[in-house]
Amino acid sequence: MNCVLLNKLNNFLINVHLSRLRHTKHWNPKFKKQRQEKFFKPDVIKRKHNVNGLSEDILHTKMKERGIYPSKPWQESAIYISCTGDVFEPYIPPEGDGKFSSLSTIGAKQNAEYLMKKTKSYQAVMTIKKFEEAFDVIDFANESLDIYIKGHEILARKQKSKLKGFVTEKLFPELFYNLENKTIIWKFIKSLEPARVVHSRCTNLLTDDNIFAQITVRLHTEQILAVYDRFGRLMHGSEILKKNVLEYIVFEKHLSNEYGQWRLHSKIIPSWMPLGQCITKTFVTN
Amino acid sequence: MSLATRLCLLFSKNLVTATRSLQFVQRNINLDKKPTHFLSYNDIIYPVQGFDEERRPAYVCHQKCNIRYTPKKMTYVAWLIRGMSVDEAIKQLSFVLKKGGAIVKEAILEAQAMAVEHHNVEFKSNLWVAESFTSKAYTIKGKRKHKGALFGEVRYTYCHYFVRLEEGEPPKDYYKTNHKSSSELLEDWKEQMRRRKIPNSL
Repeated sequence: MNCVLLNKLNNFLINVHLSRLRHTKHWNPKFKKQRQEKFFKPDVIKRKHNVNGLSEDILHTKMKERGIYPSKPWQESAIYISCTGDVFEPYIPPEGDGKFSSLSTIGAKQNAEYLMKKTKSYQAVMTIKKFEEAFDVIDFANESLDIYIKGHEILARKQKSKLKGFVTEKLFPELFYNLENKTIIWKFIKSLEPARVVHSRCTNLLTDDNIFAQITVRLHTEQILAVYDRFGRLMHGSEILKKNVLEYIVFEKHLSNEYGQWRLHSKIIPSWMPLGQCITKTFVTN
Repeated sequence: MSLATRLCLLFSKNLVTATRSLQFVQRNINLDKKPTHFLSYNDIIYPVQGFDEERRPAYVCHQKCNIRYTPKKMTYVAWLIRGMSVDEAIKQLSFVLKKGGAIVKEAILEAQAMAVEHHNVEFKSNLWVAESFTSKAYTIKGKRKHKGALFGEVRYTYCHYFVRLEEGEPPKDYYKTNHKSSSELLEDWKEQMRRRKIPNSL
């Protein structure tokens, strides 16, 4: 008997839906509207309104409510192009660079290919020399290393205003992506090989005399990198581990601008390169 | 003079004009305005920890602003989950049949997602509710017509809700009630007994 009762109770508990019964409604629906009209709630204007997805009529009335004039369709704004948005004719690094010596067969082959591709780069250097008479490729390679080091040091300190002199507007958001609230410790130890210019290109934007120059530099260096999260806990890398880094860095300069500077623009990541070490993180999947 | 009579005096001239003038807009109230201080704790960057230091627990602050709900009612919901693990809090809030229950649950789920995405928390269940409280926001005053030319005041109250989730296990004794074990109680009693003195004796 008891068992049956318990079963019934169990079934009842499973079937019962959790809800609250509230009797706040008037029993007579006849004067519902009049009862509503007894209350006067002031309208509060929401100043910031999500405009997306509103029809034009609603937008018009909302603007009128706030006393905002509609924007003029012919409003013009000046655009200043200080850098290009991409790497044009990017350099393709030889496969297995940094692993073979130049004396081996593969190394010798790579050197030969490198010389064959040189004509266009030479032309570009000549264009640069039209604007910069004292331009020298070897001097520039050393100069680029300085820009690289200073830029990275400023980035580690997160001095955004200072960084603009070392980094183009294209690279700037890429560098700061996912970097908020993190502490970076970066140290440059030494250059393993002298920096070498491998590739250069010039292009014009909009007009013929508005010329941008891009130079790719091969940097083989030794660095230390450690990334800490907001709470000072190690996320990536190590402060006591030195790493050899081989990079192809693209530097850019607005040649037509009298005050143009050579700045970090991009990094060439070849398609054959294996993916780097990711930040170790584990997730529980549902 | 009560408020109702004062309002009555204000609007006693003509009921029709009175009702028209009541359809007003309260321009001085900005429901988009949000408290800023609590979220600024999310921007604090702590110094780098050494190898031998104890791992600093991560935390995340989150807030829900200008909720159309009274802070009085919200307080009970907010205080219910203090010192609970996140999973336990969500479980408990699922059974709170109040408007506030759903709001607080949503806030906690959002904070949990924030912790995992932006604050380097590895496991989303490894969090506990370190702080959960509410505060008063704007109160908009409306009117309600009574018999004749009498009016009463209606308060449309708003509140803010704040929550801080911290990484790790919840503390065993969050409310610091210091429940003593039987052996500890016995020791206390013995100590008390030994401290007794018989006055005017040897």
